[in-house]
Amino acid sequence: MRRVYILCSLLPLLLPFLAIIGGGLLITGLQSFGLFMFSYTYEDMFFAYKELFTDSWFVESAMFSLYVALTATLISIVLGTLFAYLIWKLPGRYHSRTVIYKIPLILPHIAVGFIAVILLSKTGILSSIAYQLGFIDSFESFPNLLYTRSGIDLIIAYIYKETPFVMVMVYAILSRFDRRLIDTAGMLGASTLRSFFTLILPFIMPVLNTTFIILFIFSFGGFDLPFVLGDSYPGMITIRIYEYFFQKDMAMRPVAMAMLTLVFTFSLIFIFTYLKFSSRLERGVRKL
Amino acid sequence: MIRLFSLLLLFGLIFVFPVLVLVFYAASSAWAFPEVIPSAYDLRSLTYLWIHRGDIAVSLFSSCGYSFGAILVTLLLTVLPAKLFARTCFTGKTLLEGLFLAPALIPPMAFAMGAHYIFLYLGISDTFIGVVLILSLYSYPYMLRALTAGYQTYGEDYALCARNIGASALRILLTIEIPLLLPAIVAGGTIVFLVSFSEYFLVFLIGGGTVPSYSGYIFPLLNSSDKSVASLLTLVFLFIPVLLFFIIDRLVYATYRKRGMM
Repeated sequence: MRRVYILCSLLPLLLPFLAIIGGGLLITGLQSFGLFMFSYTYEDMFFAYKELFTDSWFVESAMFSLYVALTATLISIVLGTLFAYLIWKLPGRYHSRTVIYKIPLILPHIAVGFIAVILLSKTGILSSIAYQLGFIDSFESFPNLLYTRSGIDLIIAYIYKETPFVMVMVYAILSRFDRRLIDTAGMLGASTLRSFFTLILPFIMPVLNTTFIILFIFSFGGFDLPFVLGDSYPGMITIRIYEYFFQKDMAMRPVAMAMLTLVFTFSLIFIFTYLKFSSRLERGVRKL
Repeated sequence: MIRLFSLLLLFGLIFVFPVLVLVFYAASSAWAFPEVIPSAYDLRSLTYLWIHRGDIAVSLFSSCGYSFGAILVTLLLTVLPAKLFARTCFTGKTLLEGLFLAPALIPPMAFAMGAHYIFLYLGISDTFIGVVLILSLYSYPYMLRALTAGYQTYGEDYALCARNIGASALRILLTIEIPLLLPAIVAGGTIVFLVSFSEYFLVFLIGGGTVPSYSGYIFPLLNSSDKSVASLLTLVFLFIPVLLFFIIDRLVYATYRKRGMM
């Protein structure tokens, strides 16, 4: 009876989950080996993977995606933690007035990409401000920020989008922190910096770990933002996948699926790390 | 006070400034280097909005439609599992909870491109239902988490009392569970709406261009040379969710007042 109840409660989610998420991943995997590819047949099951690894572009794209995701996520975590801590340090009645930081959470990625273009281009707003302040004498001397190998446009756009997310997560856990611990530490002579690193940081660490993994995979596998910010060499891996899926000959689709399979396998490793951390989270904190 | 103002100034500079730039762009006629504030203004972008009001309204309605559809579907998918996760302990629970988080964690492309094949087979690719389904399967983890937390905030006692005095399961659901879960539904629904409303790729992949969407409508304009129109349309992107949240917030508040729950 109990088992029937548990199973019946799970079914409404389990069935669509298995059919669409499970089935979708299965098809992605199978097509990467040239199976279930409509009417196409392939002699060599591993042709897509061979194609990928003979092409240095794939490895470079993967490394570029890793670099952009890692840099953006690390900076967002540091900034978001700092800002959330500063809000938390304010007297309680002021906390809700800082709500403006949530604007980027509402803006879609494609909108953030557009904003990045108008702010960062050579004749953009930041360039104009730099000119008026006398830092540069013409737009020619403004550094190239868009569509470059440094990926700085992508990184800045992701930081803008992700920092408020970190703030929401960190603020939620900080509001459960017992302030008296700080007072006690202060009375015993600890500096603000010391209290932060020995009391607050260990307390929020589980949330930071979770947030890091969520944001890292999100920016690693995100498509919308790199798609607006245009293509550059080597480009994010998701753009490569898109090109193989839509723009090349249909017979080349297994290559897109092979990249997706690798991206997925890579993400799985991260999810297991996540599970290890999330069991440490208190039950009540799970707001998201 | 000084700390508050300096923090607000910092947040304004980082988070609000880019949106202010959009406002200026939307009102300017031509904003060129090296002006920090545009020197000429006109109503060109508003005129564009008015001329294309038909297309814009259709895409906005369609976007709101599939986003609300996604809220409804995620609610149906997760309400029973959320109750189970909040109230019952069973073997494999942690594993299942982790597994069900997967869509929020793995890149959506990985399952969506395979799911596209399945949808083609089922005949629901390029349809509204297909778009609602893929968005629901992508965003339900937020609803699941919110509802699980919601169920954890109150015990089983209310439902038990109601059953003792003879209420039917449906009546318990309608008069006890849904009102008590309302804040959680609003919280989860807000995120599901935002995720669905702002998504570009999944709608483009599964909708195949036949399902109108606001993100699909403005995408080509973002790369056009007319930054003024693109800015105004981007501001609409910000305005619609904020407006909806405001209305829903008021409605929930009013409902609670009327029922004397506040």
